[in-house]
Amino acid sequence: MAPILKLENLTRYFAALAAVKDVSFEIEPGGLVGLIGPNGAGKTTLLSLVAGSLKPTSGKIEFEGRNLAGAKSFQAVRAGVARTHQIPKPFRTMTVRENVEVGLRFGRREKAAGATKKAEEFLDMVGIAALARRPAFLLSVGDLKRLELARALAARPTLLLCDEICSGLTETESGLILRLLCDIRRAGTTILYVEHNLRAIMSVCDPVIVMNYGQKLAEGPPTAVQNDPSVIEAYIGKKAMI
Amino acid sequence: MGQEAAVGVKDGGGNAGSSSVSRFVSVVAPLLLLASLAAVPLVGPGPNIVRLLFMTLTLVTASVGWNLIGGFAGQISFGFAVFYGLGAYTTALSINGGIPPAIAFLLGAVVAAVASLLIGLPTFRLKGPYFAIATIGVSEAVRVVMMNVPFTGGASGYRIIDKTRFVQSHHYYTALVLAALAVGISILVRRSKLGLALTAIREDQDAASDLGVNPFIAKLAVHALAAALAAAAGGVYARYSLFIDPDGVFAFRNGIAILLMPIIGGVGTIWGPVIGAFVYGLIHEEVVANFPQAHLLIFGSLLILIILFEPGGVMGLLQKFLRFVRARSSVGSHS
Repeated sequence: MAPILKLENLTRYFAALAAVKDVSFEIEPGGLVGLIGPNGAGKTTLLSLVAGSLKPTSGKIEFEGRNLAGAKSFQAVRAGVARTHQIPKPFRTMTVRENVEVGLRFGRREKAAGATKKAEEFLDMVGIAALARRPAFLLSVGDLKRLELARALAARPTLLLCDEICSGLTETESGLILRLLCDIRRAGTTILYVEHNLRAIMSVCDPVIVMNYGQKLAEGPPTAVQNDPSVIEAYIGKKAMI
Repeated sequence: MGQEAAVGVKDGGGNAGSSSVSRFVSVVAPLLLLASLAAVPLVGPGPNIVRLLFMTLTLVTASVGWNLIGGFAGQISFGFAVFYGLGAYTTALSINGGIPPAIAFLLGAVVAAVASLLIGLPTFRLKGPYFAIATIGVSEAVRVVMMNVPFTGGASGYRIIDKTRFVQSHHYYTALVLAALAVGISILVRRSKLGLALTAIREDQDAASDLGVNPFIAKLAVHALAAALAAAAGGVYARYSLFIDPDGVFAFRNGIAILLMPIIGGVGTIWGPVIGAFVYGLIHEEVVANFPQAHLLIFGSLLILIILFEPGGVMGLLQKFLRFVRARSSVGSHS
């Protein structure tokens, strides 16, 4: 099966600092792929490169056979790539429903008719339909994370990029979000899930990709990655291993 | 803008009493205002009052136009005197060339829309204060250029030879129709897909782009529409005054006035710019006449006070009042 996303030697420099360097990997359609790494590993930068929020310094981003390197984020969305943000970015004065309508009307299948009803379906999917008429600035962190997810899903992506969607959530809230990600995957959307919380990612993702200092450190099934000495070293240090 | 003001009356349910108040404010009051304004020349209040209202209505058009880009999209421009002036000069040249006034206004709007694209192409790549600063530069540059263009009379100004008989009420109704058209366009934009994109851009441009909005195109499109409205207002003014000069129509103070009116009334709302234009239009001449050396200081201070204490402007105050009425009637129905 042809990969849905193929990265080849993807590199991004900020001045002299290589935030992402020569990263290559492929994602199969329908996968729920985890991307982990310590702070500053370059996970969010890599996500931003795929989402079009940042331009790569060099390298290729092939999505469904099209080169997306250098595409702007709205072009990536229209091609079928949507993202959530680590720190939610709601349109604060809009209602929750209007927030989702932006994704619906500017994403891949834009139709004015029935947008309101459709927006409520997405809100229902993430469990915040009751808040549809509330202004987004009144939402709690947990609900803002769900709104991020609903907005991104409303854009009808084939590849969903989730950036630490469970950070700042309680164990119960995280569990609900993870179940939701599994449901979204079952419905046919491929997911690249960046997370700091190892337990969360190991429970739902296969395969898992590990990054450190901007480079790919390991890739494989969760258990193999978990036992990889280089991964253990990256997370807890050499001394601790000894 | 205050978040509560921007959210307006959408939040919460409300009872029958408060919804009838909302309906009055949003439907009946504007129709009453339009009917009253249409009746003014028939009542015969005197040419000076009609002139004052005529000027106010041209300000309404320019103010509503500015609000499309400044209020809905959050792109603060100090450069709308450019479009007002271009509209005035294009209309003046067209009328002197024998073109009917209605087409002359349209030509002015088209020229300004094209100019807005030329200005927007480089400046909309800038964000936040840099865009605002760039518009100041553009405004001053265009004024200086117009001071030195010989075929429009340079700094000496340009006289319009309008062969039609001067009837003040005709000018007044032209300004009224244009102002009503501007408000209609504003309502349509607000309810459209473009309006949704503009609000998203104002709130967070990067997040809007991450959901498929092309911010550059949306801003260019609404900037052109806004510029066309400001230019039409400038054209209507030019035809009335029969004489224009760069220090009059391209003056930086005009750009400030066009920006100040929506802020007084309530930036980013439909009726805020209209209310702001009436407040500004009706007091401006009195302030200038009584404080010729200090009127800019007075309007500048007013701007600071509004931003500090009531960013929602008059509409913000009105919405607070409506919420108060709703809360009172809700308490009454429960007791």
